Amino acid sequence: MAIEIQGLHKSFGRVHALRGLDLEAPVGQVTGFLGPNGSGKTTTIRVLLGLLRSDAGTVRLLGGDPWADAVRLHRDIAYVPGDVTLWPNLTGGETIDILCRLSVPLEPERKRTMLDRFDLDPTKKARTYSKGNRQKVALVAALASRAPLLLLDEPTSGLDPIMEAAFQESIREVKAEGRSVLLSSHIFTEVESLADRVVIIRDGETVESGTLAELRHLTRTQVTAVLDAGADTLASLPGVHDLATGDGRTSFAVDDDALATVLAEVARLRPRSLVANPPSLEDLFLRHYGDELAALEGGGRG
Amino acid sequence: MVRRNRVRLVVWFASLVGLFAYVADYFGSVFTTQAALDDFAAISDNPGIKALTGLAAAPDTLGGAVWTKIWMTLAVSLALGIVFLVTRNGRADEELGRTELLRSRMLGSHAQAVATWIVLAVLAVAIGLAVALVSMVAGLDPDDAGTTGSWVVGASLAGVGLVAIGVGALVGQFTATSRGANGLGSIVILGFYMLRMIGDLGDGALTWASPFGWGEEMAPWGANRWWPFGLMLALTAVLLAAAWLIEERRDHGAGLLPDRAGSSGAPARYASPLGLALRLQRGPIVGWTIAVVLSALMFGSVANQMSDLLDSAGGNVAAMLQGAGVDALVALLCSMIALLVTVFAVQSATQLRADEASDILEPQLAGAVSRTRWVLMRLLIPAVGALALLAIGGGLLGVSYGSTIGDPSQALRLAGATLAYWPAVMVIVGLAVALFGYLPRIAIALSWAVIGALWMIMILGDALNLPGWALNLMPFSATPTLPAEGMDWTPLVVMTAVALALVGAGLERFARRDIQPA
Repeated sequence: MAIEIQGLHKSFGRVHALRGLDLEAPVGQVTGFLGPNGSGKTTTIRVLLGLLRSDAGTVRLLGGDPWADAVRLHRDIAYVPGDVTLWPNLTGGETIDILCRLSVPLEPERKRTMLDRFDLDPTKKARTYSKGNRQKVALVAALASRAPLLLLDEPTSGLDPIMEAAFQESIREVKAEGRSVLLSSHIFTEVESLADRVVIIRDGETVESGTLAELRHLTRTQVTAVLDAGADTLASLPGVHDLATGDGRTSFAVDDDALATVLAEVARLRPRSLVANPPSLEDLFLRHYGDELAALEGGGRG
Repeated sequence: MVRRNRVRLVVWFASLVGLFAYVADYFGSVFTTQAALDDFAAISDNPGIKALTGLAAAPDTLGGAVWTKIWMTLAVSLALGIVFLVTRNGRADEELGRTELLRSRMLGSHAQAVATWIVLAVLAVAIGLAVALVSMVAGLDPDDAGTTGSWVVGASLAGVGLVAIGVGALVGQFTATSRGANGLGSIVILGFYMLRMIGDLGDGALTWASPFGWGEEMAPWGANRWWPFGLMLALTAVLLAAAWLIEERRDHGAGLLPDRAGSSGAPARYASPLGLALRLQRGPIVGWTIAVVLSALMFGSVANQMSDLLDSAGGNVAAMLQGAGVDALVALLCSMIALLVTVFAVQSATQLRADEASDILEPQLAGAVSRTRWVLMRLLIPAVGALALLAIGGGLLGVSYGSTIGDPSQALRLAGATLAYWPAVMVIVGLAVALFGYLPRIAIALSWAVIGALWMIMILGDALNLPGWALNLMPFSATPTLPAEGMDWTPLVVMTAVALALVGAGLERFARRDIQPA
């Protein structure tokens, strides 16, 4: 394991930011770290960097203690903060060199590649960069080395779709080299396409974790079919939920373990068309935050 | 604008008016007889007092004595405070993008700047009015002279405040960062202070080149001149008009000084905390070195004029300078250089917290650098820098002074005198580090408050009516005032130990605590 966290607690005064968080990130994999703003992702990463001290729980990072062994561990870590602050009077290129060399040896060849890939002018003073460009500086600095572990805190929140693609390409290369990544994000498609494992947290607690395949098992597949014969027989099958008909279409949700029997019954009804969607990461996520959404809608404020 | 600054506005108003009221009240209780006032008047014409607090005006009246003691302090504090407030509401907002938000709404391009100017003008006038009222209530006006003197005092302070608004507005147009604007503004204000200092000590011509000089020449209870107030209003109008014109012509977010393309890579030495800090503080280091060199050379030439004056005045004046004659003045100049160096050292030391507050510490500590090593290497700059600047400042003061009296040995002698302040400077730096460890959120403000207190004590001295033991606890007062006094190693060793203990305590705490961005 590159990262192992069990029962992590952290309070700031009266605010209980982390309440027993668990997280595992295996070596050589990309671990997605999902949760809305304020759920504790950044606090967790700061604990992993030894910037904050945990109140309770065990945290292991590359086999060491992130607080006590910070200096040794940081030689193997590249970090991209969520809110990138740079020295206003240094150029982007200088900043990249400094940030990278503070922990790991810089590889000039990689730096050039990444500067090209992210289309960043390294001779400009940092104070003239936009938010997206500041983020690119931090990303290039992290990607210009061969650090075994990358801690990325919402690294693409200011990037455009082209840069997002460049980022995903880079992370796949990192993974192909057997290095590990912890990717905190709230962009579902990004995590879905990059992550091997996903950890979903809420209010400082882990509510779901596992591979995407494992997580999908926990939820229902959404099925929409056009059935001539009517759908009455389906409603009584175990594992079928929220059945609705209209415009000749029948739609319902199926528990994962009932999928085979239900689809056999659908086949018997001779559907003219059939669409079955596996749950997206967004669905998984919203399953845990559905009540908050409901509260929002119930509140009647748009 | 008022809402976002109300605390600051109230604090500046209350502390300046309060200080005036305090000194007025204290002097009222001390100088109960005309004889006491005559004594005060006799010593207030000496060069040391002229250098620090400017020309005396009717010091043989109670009002004149208060004015002579406190006016320069109030004027310089007010000017600096207003420059910082202008920057805070102008350049700093623009840098942070707040202005963009407002300008994208209904506001015209000058609306915010003008609002700031108006509010601060109200502050300056309010302080002037309040000081005038306090002066009348405290009975500073002589019985037969009406209240003209009180009104002149108030007007002189309000005028300085108005000029400072103009200075702040103009420097904010030149630089693209609030730090640059504050730095440039402070240099202009200190420059005005220096100009009038040289003028006051010399033939008086340069006094008229400084708004502080104009304020001095209003001389309440003495000449009671009103027309220098007109000069201040005119200068304010010119400065504000210039700022207005520049703001109209430049792009939002840009300064007049353009951004150039820089290097696409950094040398390897920047990856060490010391190398990086040296690069980041290059500007301040060069700036403070120039400031110390210029002040030392100027002080040195001034000291010579003083010694002439002392010779011609004979034994009387020498006796007033606590018997040591020109050495007392030279010792005072040495301590002023030490104070300049302290400002540099504290500015450098407070960068520890500044880095933490601005989130830029996080990526540094995410590198393979221990917190202890990061702090210690950073502290090399104020520690070694202060040592070097003290030696340079004292040495050049000696060279400049020695060349005019034909005594080259003064260079070494005065370098030694200023170097004796190194432990005192380090105590203040240690205090800044301890505050950084234990009270990070208010560390910077408190560190500057310490500097402010040192400056007040040095200028006001006995007028603050502090007990002797409290004065002796102050690092600057504890330092032997070479060359007027003899050398005493004990306080230096004690202060070095205190400085080390403070740094150690701050470090130990910082190594154990959470990183707390602003």
